[in-house]
Amino acid sequence: MNREIVCITCPNSCLMEVTADEAGQVTGVSGNRCPKGADFAKSEIAHPVRTLCTTVRTVYKDCPVLPVRVDGTVPKEKIRDAMNAIGQITVDRPAGIGDVVLEDLLGLGVNVIVTSGVLQER
Amino acid sequence: MSKLEKIRKKIQALPEGDAMEVTEERGCIVLRGTVKEWNTAVKAGQLAVDQKRYLGVINDIRLEGFDYEAAAAKGKPSLHDDLLEGASPDVLIIGGGITGCSAARELSRHALSVLLVEKGSDVASGASKANGGVIHVGINFGKNSQKHHYNQIGNAMYRQLSEELDVPLEQKGQVMLCCEKWERIPVWFLRQNGKRLGIPGVRYLKRDELRKVEPEIPDFIDGGMYMPIGGITSPYEMTIALAENAVKNGVRIVFDTAVEEMELEPSCRSGAYGEMKHITCVKTNRGRIYPKVIINAAGVHADEIAEMADDRTFTIHPRRGTDIIMDQKAGHLVRTSMAKAPFSILPQDRAQMASGPAARVRLLIRAFNGSSHTKGVGLIHSVHGNMLIGPNAVETPDREDRNTYRKEVEDIIAMQQKLSPDLSAGDVIAYFTGVRAPTYEEDFVVRKGIFTDNILEAAGIQSPGVTAAPAIGADLAKWACESLENLCGKAVLSNPDFDPVRKAPPRLRELSVEERDALIRENPDYGVIVCRCEEISKGEILDALRSGLCVPTVDGIKRRLRPGMGRCQGGFCQPLVMQIIADFLGVPLSEVRKSTPGSVITFGDTKGGREDEI
Amino acid sequence: MKYREADVIVIGGGPAGLAAAIAAREAGADVLLLERESRLGGILKQCIHDGFGLIRYGEKLSGPEYAQRFIDRFHALGIEAMTETFVTKIEKPQPDGTFCLTASSREGMLLLKSSSLVLATGCRERTARQVFLHGSRPAGIFTAGTAQHLINLQGQMPTRRCVILGSGDIGLIMARRLTLEGAEVVGVYEARPRPSGLVRNLHQCLYDFGIPLHLSTTVTRVFGEERVEAAEVCRVDDRMQPVAGTEERIECDSVILSVGLIPENELAESLGVQMDPATRGPAADSSKMTSVPGVFSCGNSFRVFDLVDDVSEDGEQAGRAAAAWSLSAKGRREAEK
Repeated sequence: MNREIVCITCPNSCLMEVTADEAGQVTGVSGNRCPKGADFAKSEIAHPVRTLCTTVRTVYKDCPVLPVRVDGTVPKEKIRDAMNAIGQITVDRPAGIGDVVLEDLLGLGVNVIVTSGVLQER
Repeated sequence: MSKLEKIRKKIQALPEGDAMEVTEERGCIVLRGTVKEWNTAVKAGQLAVDQKRYLGVINDIRLEGFDYEAAAAKGKPSLHDDLLEGASPDVLIIGGGITGCSAARELSRHALSVLLVEKGSDVASGASKANGGVIHVGINFGKNSQKHHYNQIGNAMYRQLSEELDVPLEQKGQVMLCCEKWERIPVWFLRQNGKRLGIPGVRYLKRDELRKVEPEIPDFIDGGMYMPIGGITSPYEMTIALAENAVKNGVRIVFDTAVEEMELEPSCRSGAYGEMKHITCVKTNRGRIYPKVIINAAGVHADEIAEMADDRTFTIHPRRGTDIIMDQKAGHLVRTSMAKAPFSILPQDRAQMASGPAARVRLLIRAFNGSSHTKGVGLIHSVHGNMLIGPNAVETPDREDRNTYRKEVEDIIAMQQKLSPDLSAGDVIAYFTGVRAPTYEEDFVVRKGIFTDNILEAAGIQSPGVTAAPAIGADLAKWACESLENLCGKAVLSNPDFDPVRKAPPRLRELSVEERDALIRENPDYGVIVCRCEEISKGEILDALRSGLCVPTVDGIKRRLRPGMGRCQGGFCQPLVMQIIADFLGVPLSEVRKSTPGSVITFGDTKGGREDEI
Repeated sequence: MKYREADVIVIGGGPAGLAAAIAAREAGADVLLLERESRLGGILKQCIHDGFGLIRYGEKLSGPEYAQRFIDRFHALGIEAMTETFVTKIEKPQPDGTFCLTASSREGMLLLKSSSLVLATGCRERTARQVFLHGSRPAGIFTAGTAQHLINLQGQMPTRRCVILGSGDIGLIMARRLTLEGAEVVGVYEARPRPSGLVRNLHQCLYDFGIPLHLSTTVTRVFGEERVEAAEVCRVDDRMQPVAGTEERIECDSVILSVGLIPENELAESLGVQMDPATRGPAADSSKMTSVPGVFSCGNSFRVFDLVDDVSEDGEQAGRAAAAWSLSAKGRREAEK
């Protein structure tokens, strides 16, 4: 199996030619400018994952939402479920950058962390 | 052959002549039928004009395939309630454009209950907001036209009015540009006309002299007719100021209100055409109103209102015009309002235009008899330092056609680049379309009711409507008082509390550093700049929200203060303005509107409604 | 009126301005930073997506996280920032080469003086009118940045179903963001034959979510009286002119524009700084000094950058150069005394 995959790890956006065997094991990657590309290609063939950035609701009127991200990756097919789970959170304390607002998102072993210091600047 | 016969013959000689029926009814020429080309209907209306023998042209020719119902629905408010049910004002003004608001302010000098209804969500929602704001000289109007009459009086009123209402006015004159020496001859005739009309100071300035007034004119210009009494105002700010002053003096203004129907009964009075009628009730989407006197200032819908009142002697044939606003950086290109003379041909156009003597004569005739409606798209300096170019003129059956069209905008820019070679399409910051409300007579219809005894008409108000409005408003108010006195048999008293002065809230940008500092110390919100392009502070926005005529919408604030009118067009400040409005009203952001009740900006919280998706 | 002097005044507290202020302070100058908004960070405050700082930190940070690293350093160095402070006027340089600024703030008008200026005023988005979008003017026409502000800072949904005109990175990022929040992005339309955003953004923002990209296609017209009801899209030829007969009407409640950024240089122009027509930013020498001695330009107001990492570096260069300029000017002035 041959597949073209664009690496999304960095702005270089390397276009890679990826070959894999019947079992889905990657046998060759070309076109990547760094080893991260090969890692991405393998993950993309085996089980694509993505980072996820969004916001959570807060109780503060002058700052109704707070930027957050997942501190690891989320399987591509779980993105919507992850958004729904994050959509349930309401922050009611002045959480700062890195503070966890949801532990072990969907049992994936990753946390949802705050990415803005806005509530602590108030 | 009778005059009617002659008109009929001319109309039936038009391409779809057989489809059009010409009759005479109640002193008017009436046209009916359905045609495939809108221009045919317009042409027929123009051919039917005979102001000596007839009251006017009623042109009910329709365009085949045009969805009149959909067009009518477009401008109607979606709101329905009974806010106005049972209201019985002395005077009901229909339409919150500059004419209606002028009449309202004039009426507020008297001890009367005055109600103004406007179908839009702010005053100046129609042509009053979408025009160049030129205070016209009126050199090419006919001596007996209402346009001349009201323009001349209105022009003379503007200085005092602008001072009383604290609205910017620039009186730097108006310029009509000529390209060739021979054009000084028709200019001489125009100057004679000016003298006859009583217009002072008109003179021809040769290129070098003209450059003292307009430094950026190109070298191919021979000179221009300089008319010092011309000026520029901000038409929507003037309308808002008139309305605010009217409200301060007791007038009630209600938005989102459209007149749907009127109830009439026979009047005890009779006029030149026999027994008159009397309006008893005006139905709106917000309840039934029982006014004593009605003023029709409905702009592009004025003939529909007159029809409801059974007093129609005219037809509004909508004429779309698009204006383009250029960045303040281009503002230096024009200092007054200037256009090429209607008989002048630019050097770039000489090749493709019929420039033979016959064509020149035709141009000349059009220029002198006032049938040159386009006024030769011009360059206008705005009171805010931008340059405005336009408008064009396109006949349309759609009264609410405020669309802009690619081709037209490109054409306007290309045309003006000939007059102003430094003009760049890259400096365009906005463009908008307004719909003019001309009659086929191309004159105002400002009069008392002919068939109905308690209506006053102010129709056909197109250019120079902004200039004429104060004068028209004064007449309307005077006649309304006379009508009330006749109807009720008692004198109308003056309003003892009338205050002609409306003070605009401070514009921080225009103050000295010291004055500005002092104001900020009183109110720190004056120090917080919300709109970076036009330098508008939060305090100024709050002042506008606290004014007597609060229009808490993004467009309402934009018109009053200009955030969103600059080069970023609201990209940065719109969310901030929305937040200030929401906080002021104590409502969620999603309830803040652009303008009308249906002009929703956001659909609620991002996380709201997600629960039910799970 | 409050009066304040500094060696270097930095105008703008986004990534370029922060980096410039830090670099100038580290070079020994007394620095004052002026920011018109209430918080430092500039546009990064609303860029909640990740991908910032890969070059500089080798990490995938979100915009606010990236900004915070600079803000923390800025405060650690004890640099003064005046927020909600808007420069209203800069006088042409005085005979001794110093600059006098007037600014508006909650405390009143400020009179400020410095030997050098760093202009880090960022950029603005091209608008619907500048790309000659026609038709009606209802609610629901947003630039991508405005939509981003509404959704990420104010928690408001600007659309339920939209088309995006332009394939700039912000437009692509917003396509994903809106989709994540439950809106439907019918398609991204790009008048040019090639997308203008990064290829990786096409993949992670559009293709991941099944959002089509239509090249050589533009939005020509907007329909709707009160709120956008539909948009007309149309193919364009190689001269970017609409091809008659290819018009298609798409029902939607919004048109979101990502059609380019323009450096903001109103202050620079008021100082008579020479502009470079290619970048639409000031022309500058290798030390980032403009044609007006003592005035330095950096970040997106200098030219529009693709990566914030490069903006920071640009800011640092300008900051260092501004510090060197003002310190030597100070030395000269003292020597003359």
